Amino acid sequence: MPAKTITVNLKVWRQPAKDQPGRMVDYVAKDISTDMSFLEMLDVVNEDLIRKGEDAIAFDSDCREGICGACGCVINGIPHGPDAGATTCQLHMRRFTDGQTITVEPWRAKSFPVLKDLTVDRSAFDRIIASGGYISAGIGGAQDANSILIPRSIAEEAMDSAACIGCGACVAACKNAAAHLFTGAKITHLALLPQGAPERALRVVRMVGQMEAEGFGACSNEGECEAVCPKLIPISNIAKLVREYTRAWWRGTT
Amino acid sequence: MSSITTKLIIGATGVLLFAYLILHVIGNALIFFGPDLFNSYAHMLLSNPLVVPIEIGLVVVFLIHLVKAITMTFQNQAARPAKYAKKVAAGGTSQKSLASSTMILSGLALLIFIPIHVKMFKYGPEYPYGASDVRDLYRLEVENFTSPLVVGLYAMVMVVVGMHLWHGVASSFQSLGISGPRFTPLIRKVGKVSAIGIAGGFIVIAVWVFLFGARS
Repeated sequence: MPAKTITVNLKVWRQPAKDQPGRMVDYVAKDISTDMSFLEMLDVVNEDLIRKGEDAIAFDSDCREGICGACGCVINGIPHGPDAGATTCQLHMRRFTDGQTITVEPWRAKSFPVLKDLTVDRSAFDRIIASGGYISAGIGGAQDANSILIPRSIAEEAMDSAACIGCGACVAACKNAAAHLFTGAKITHLALLPQGAPERALRVVRMVGQMEAEGFGACSNEGECEAVCPKLIPISNIAKLVREYTRAWWRGTT
Repeated sequence: MSSITTKLIIGATGVLLFAYLILHVIGNALIFFGPDLFNSYAHMLLSNPLVVPIEIGLVVVFLIHLVKAITMTFQNQAARPAKYAKKVAAGGTSQKSLASSTMILSGLALLIFIPIHVKMFKYGPEYPYGASDVRDLYRLEVENFTSPLVVGLYAMVMVVVGMHLWHGVASSFQSLGISGPRFTPLIRKVGKVSAIGIAGGFIVIAVWVFLFGARS
């Protein structure tokens, strides 16, 4: 199939540094192959900007195969763009038409300050993890297979939650910039497994406490987060977070 | 208080208010059976010694729901100080709707409506039903719904009630952590059906009273 090329009109958020005013700037991306990924298209635009001696558009990316969670911007009003279950790097230009206008913005949340252009500081997520999203109990060497019995359905459920790559699209999509899906996925993942049991109550109290301290909003149960999650993590994880939090409260954990 | 606790409180009070609305619309529907049954049902409620504590409880539940929702709305707005230039609904599995986006507005509209509503009915004129000490609420309802303007405004407010329930019923259960592969799709359907049933029920009753009430 011969490669098709399109021209798209970009409106990109440009902000020179943190706490500085930014604005939407228009760019024309000419002769873009529809086989390119969205980020490759931005690379082409940046090469052109660099040739002209202008400042390249800053954006985060790393693996470019949808597993690392580094990339992410709001494309035409939807975090990670129009495709369900995909990161920004997995979005391809064949999803756009010749002459289309595409707005590109960073995640917007008080807890995710913009560092430059499309890059944001997501260290709030790191601090939530550091507050309890781990297992500190010594579990010895690698266990023999099946020495810790976990029903397959439970293992699958825990794995579905563990699929979270911490990209932040859930916060970006939420009208309240809430981090409940992220925190809920981490809590669900560890609460379902025996290795997570010793710190189960303390973990949820600490992680929710940190989530609140970071300034994220409350959950309005709309499920926009679920719809944009590149790993399709459902909001049942948020209900599980509520149950785990209530359980910890019931047991007097603070 | 964490946002999870706040939502647990909003969800629990929401479920109680939903249960109250179900009883309210069923009670109102007794008007179809004529003044005898309607007034004796109302008398049974009014003469019950538990009615005052229940009414106080209802007001408290309503105020908690309201105050928590308002303070939470300000916190939510603070969580996103800079708005998007373009933001659209994600579609797919999202439950976002006009109703879910306007919960605080539909709630505040009801805050204006409810005092007027209570003034018109509960604290309206006290007519005796015949020679008994039973209050003739049937007559009061017929009188209140003689004006097409009142019926029209009432119907509009009931649409707002329906919108609040459209998102609110299922959302309350999710806020309480009650969720599951069978339960969640079911409660979403139940929420929407009861939103239409409750709002539609109130509207049908008001229109029926307006059209036929005086003849009975």
